[in-house]
Amino acid sequence: MSLIHIQNLNKHFKVLNRREGLGGAIRDLFSGSYRTVEAVSGISFDIEAGEIVGYIGPNGAGKSTTIKMMTGILKPTSGVIEVNGLAPYGNRIKQAQIMGVVFGQRTQLWWDLPVIESFNILKEIYKVDQKTFDKHMGMFNDLVGLNALYMQQARTLSLGQRMLCDIAASFLHNPQVVFLDEPTIGLDISVKAKIRSLIKTLNEERNTTIILTTHDLGDVEALCHRIIIIDKGKILYDGDIKKVNALFGAYRTIKVQINNFNPTTIESLNNKLTERFGKDHGILVAETEEFWSDVTIDQARTPLSDVLGLVMSSFSVNDVRIVEISMENVVQQVYDGALG
Amino acid sequence: MRTYIPVIRASFMVGLIYRFGFIFSIIGNIVYLGVAYYLWKSIYGSATTLNGLTFNETFLYVGLGSSIFILLKTYADWLIHHEIQQGTIAVYLTKPINYQLYALSTNFGAMLMNLATITIPTALMLIFVFHVKVAPGAGLFLFPISLFMAFLISFSFDFLVGLMSFYSESVWGISTTKEIIITVLSGALIPLQFFPAAIQKVLFWLPFQAIYHTPLMMITKADLGLQTFLPMLLVQLGWTIALFILSRLFYNQAIKVLRIAGG
Repeated sequence: MSLIHIQNLNKHFKVLNRREGLGGAIRDLFSGSYRTVEAVSGISFDIEAGEIVGYIGPNGAGKSTTIKMMTGILKPTSGVIEVNGLAPYGNRIKQAQIMGVVFGQRTQLWWDLPVIESFNILKEIYKVDQKTFDKHMGMFNDLVGLNALYMQQARTLSLGQRMLCDIAASFLHNPQVVFLDEPTIGLDISVKAKIRSLIKTLNEERNTTIILTTHDLGDVEALCHRIIIIDKGKILYDGDIKKVNALFGAYRTIKVQINNFNPTTIESLNNKLTERFGKDHGILVAETEEFWSDVTIDQARTPLSDVLGLVMSSFSVNDVRIVEISMENVVQQVYDGALG
Repeated sequence: MRTYIPVIRASFMVGLIYRFGFIFSIIGNIVYLGVAYYLWKSIYGSATTLNGLTFNETFLYVGLGSSIFILLKTYADWLIHHEIQQGTIAVYLTKPINYQLYALSTNFGAMLMNLATITIPTALMLIFVFHVKVAPGAGLFLFPISLFMAFLISFSFDFLVGLMSFYSESVWGISTTKEIIITVLSGALIPLQFFPAAIQKVLFWLPFQAIYHTPLMMITKADLGLQTFLPMLLVQLGWTIALFILSRLFYNQAIKVLRIAGG
């Protein structure tokens, strides 16, 4: 039996139709005019124990609403939702014991207290015994060196440190499933990498199921085998990440600003690439903005570092940027039938 | 219970971290005691008793009243309002805890902090600086019980007001109104004996006087005996239970709305 079972799940919100201006606001006070917003409509999927699933989609796609239903905060309008065989809504306290949740925008740490106190409180709330507690705390320290942070007040932590603590805290009671809602939002690359490796290790060592919602396709690429793409409350794609990878994972655009740019630069860039990688190098070179050349590569075929090295050594380069494909772009491509 | 003791402890610790806050509270309270002392002194003039209270009793009542006022001021309504508005309540809803009991524990910790840093120093000041006398009697033993129930009633009021945030964007007006009603009708500002007899009869059955007047009477008129205190305690107990249940029901209702309409 799968750990999470969702079938034909719907969540509709009634929203008051607001009118413009002061007069409108006053009339709204007496208005009975509502419209229904279908935040989630008719989604179905099953998640097995031990999976890491990337649950992605643009803003307002219905990701958080689904997470809130899975954690028992929101009541579904209709449909079946079961976590470990029980509906989360109505069994909230019992279900909370087997779940861990991190809302990236909010913290579960006690803001004014040293971090260690939050762990002590959570230990009692989830009734974790001392032996397990010590073992887990030791592990968190081995993984990301949390001991150094324990005596700091939670509000003095940097965003990245806070997130590491928050994620560790959500694993403290050895939950069967952990929901991570935008865990890397607003973090820089090195912290993101730390967080990804923490999540990966925890999943591997404990076989904890992880549902990850994110905006950052890098997170999904680094962590998930399976990906569910949702947009406008409906599932667009549910399956192996390898297929989706072709859309966003492997492609990178190297934007280079070359000094003394002239009309022949693009051509000579192309020649250099052919010289190095052969005729079928599959690299797209184009001039997009003034003085900027875009070199779009498929990392599965040509390593990024090789191309970058070649460009840097052949030309005098003023500036470089490496750009990933955006979430909106992926969703658009899925709509356009890119996944068949 | 094991779940909530660390929450009480944590909340007490937060109070310790903001240790400078209570210094200002104490200074403010000293000033208030001084003003109250001279105000009531001039009201009494040459009279030995007014409305059955001696100057000593009235000053004890008013002075201790102000420190209990600070004791019970745990800002639960604002805290809950903040958690609902910011959506932090979602974090609590994903934990195996009851939010009402969680909020109660947080406030109990804050109350203990106030007790140690404000109420006890004020009581000592009343005795050693202003030389007020406390008559021995049964009331002294009933006082802690009565004070605890007063805390529960005060918390329930705050919790109810905090929950209004589910329905009203701003809780400021409701909270201020609540403060004024409680301050006046509870006897926190003026002993209830100074009210007309008919109003006193009505107030006896209302929950407000159970917050200040009841525990304060146990100290200022400690020698009145059980036959006076027992009915007061029973009314207090009745309100403690009724308001706690009412706020639980209101909470369940509010959460249901949140879960259907979204947060």
